[in-house]
This record gives sequence, C-alpha cells and structure tokens, in this order.
Amino acid sequence: MTVGKDGIQKFISDEVSMLIGESDAKIGADTPLIGHNRVLDSADLVVLLLAVEDYARENLGFNWDWTSDSAMSEARSVLRNIGSLADHLMNQQPA
Amino acid sequence: MSDKDTVIVTGASRGLGRHCAMALHERGYRVIGLSRTSKGDAPFEVRSADVSDAKSLSTALGDLKRDKSVFALVNAAGIASMNLVITTPPETVAKIINTNLIGTILMCQLVAPAMIRRGNGRIINFSTLGVPLAIKGEAIYIASKAGVEGFSRAFAREMSPHGVTVNTIAPGPIDTALIEKVPRDKIDAVVSRQIIEKQAVPGDVLNIVSLLLSPESSMISGETIHVGGA
Repeated sequence: MTVGKDGIQKFISDEVSMLIGESDAKIGADTPLIGHNRVLDSADLVVLLLAVEDYARENLGFNWDWTSDSAMSEARSVLRNIGSLADHLMNQQPA
Repeated sequence: MSDKDTVIVTGASRGLGRHCAMALHERGYRVIGLSRTSKGDAPFEVRSADVSDAKSLSTALGDLKRDKSVFALVNAAGIASMNLVITTPPETVAKIINTNLIGTILMCQLVAPAMIRRGNGRIINFSTLGVPLAIKGEAIYIASKAGVEGFSRAFAREMSPHGVTVNTIAPGPIDTALIEKVPRDKIDAVVSRQIIEKQAVPGDVLNIVSLLLSPESSMISGETIHVGGA
C-alpha cells in the first residue's frame, strides 16, 4: 500500500518542527528547506535527510538516495521545500 | 571507548592500515578491515572491496550505514608510484587519484551517516609529508594527498555540528610495502628534510591514531598532523 502525499508531508513537517523547535502551525508545504529563507541550517538538514531516508525505507518501501547534482539548487532541487520533497518521495514509491 | 565501538580501517591487508587494524583490534575495538583482497589470517573481520568503486563499497559496508556502533573510520588505503609526471601513464594517474582521493571521499560519504546518527565519531585520513616537502618524482601521489588534506579540512566543518572530528595524519617514509621499492638514498634524503631527522616507525603513527580516537582529542578537527615535522 502506498502512502499518500499528506502522510509523507506530515512526517517531514513533524521532523522539521522538532528540529527548529517551532509548532507545526508554522510549517507547511511551502516551508523552504534550502536557499535564502531556509528554516534549517545545513547540519539540521543532514539530520532531516537521515530521518527521511529511514522513513522511506521503513514506511515507503524503497531505499532513498538523496545524492544529486542539483540537491542544493533553489530552482531544481527536490529539497526546495517540504512539499517538493513530499512529492518526490511519493513518486519514488514502488507501485 | 565503549567495548562495542566499531572502527573501520581501509587498506587493512598491509602497511599502515594493517598496523592500525591489528593495534586497534588488540585494544578491544571491533575492527572491520577493508581490502581489495581478503586475507584469511587477520584476527579481525575483513571485508573485500575496492575503495575507488562506490558500488563495491556500498555492497561491502552498506549494512553499517545505520549502525550506531560505528565510532571511527581510518582511511589508510593508498597507492603510490614514483615517477616523473611526463612519464606516468594516464591510467596510473587515474588509479592513484581514484584510490587515494576518491576512495577517501567515498568512504567518508558512506560511513558519516552512521556517525551522525550516533552523535559523535572520528575520521582519520592519511596524507604524506611529501605535500609540504614537494618531493620530486611524487607529484601525482602528492596531488592526490593534497586533495585529501583539503577535503578533510572542509569536511571537518560539515561534520563538526554532529560531534565528528576529521583529521589527517601525514607521515614521512615508513618502512611498509608502499615504499619497499624506493631506493634507500631517496628515503634518507626525504628524512633529512624532516624537522625531526629520523625515520618514523608505524608505532609513531599509531600514537597519533590513538590520540585522535581518544576523548581528549574532541577539540582537534580539520588538522593535518605531520609525523616527523615539515
């Protein structure tokens, strides 16, 4: 059974919320993970990626490889914001 | 040190890697030695992989990515080829860079997540006194090791928030397989340019490895330690 975008997005939002110590209310699909207005520093971003990697493996059924030449690109990265990361993970799920 | 701490040592079948792996095993660490060819006589666990091949490394060590017992990585795998730049075949250039520099980077990429999950760790890379001494006939080897030093300094910044230190040990010539074909007079010439004009032995390197693994070294990161001085 595949997990829907809302479920994935909630997981990411909860993790981000925990890392920055803010309530979920301020965290949403448009919350940037990289770039000028990012809410995480690079160390917390790495912690988030590790948590997402575990989540993908345990809940989504695949091994997520986050290495990418555009990983830190504000325009192209799947890490642009929480919503883009959730979309990416949802599409990676095995059918 | 917890008695469950794991140390991964590359180049563990010979040379400094072998010395490090043996010594750390004797000190009670769980040692996982990595080498291109697995030797049956090692008292520690040995896994076979080519450090310059990401796929081979992932197969050999993939299970450790989430293993919080992984405390340290000692990147001792290395190759050298004394030759003039203009007479070195391109294939040899690529092999030296791939093993010494790319291999170090790939190992760090693979093992760092386990240390980040754990919240601390130690990464020890290897360079050479040849970098500051600019030894003739070792330009490509020195290029690969200068790359290791630069990489280690910058990577140390990335790992610092996670409690992981990254340092480089740069020994002069030590009697191991790496320099067995180098003429004695050339070794003596290098030693004479060290601050301490005495050839180091593996134990001198092990002392620095021990220091860098110890809790007392928690404020040392991004450094290159020259064994013998340069």
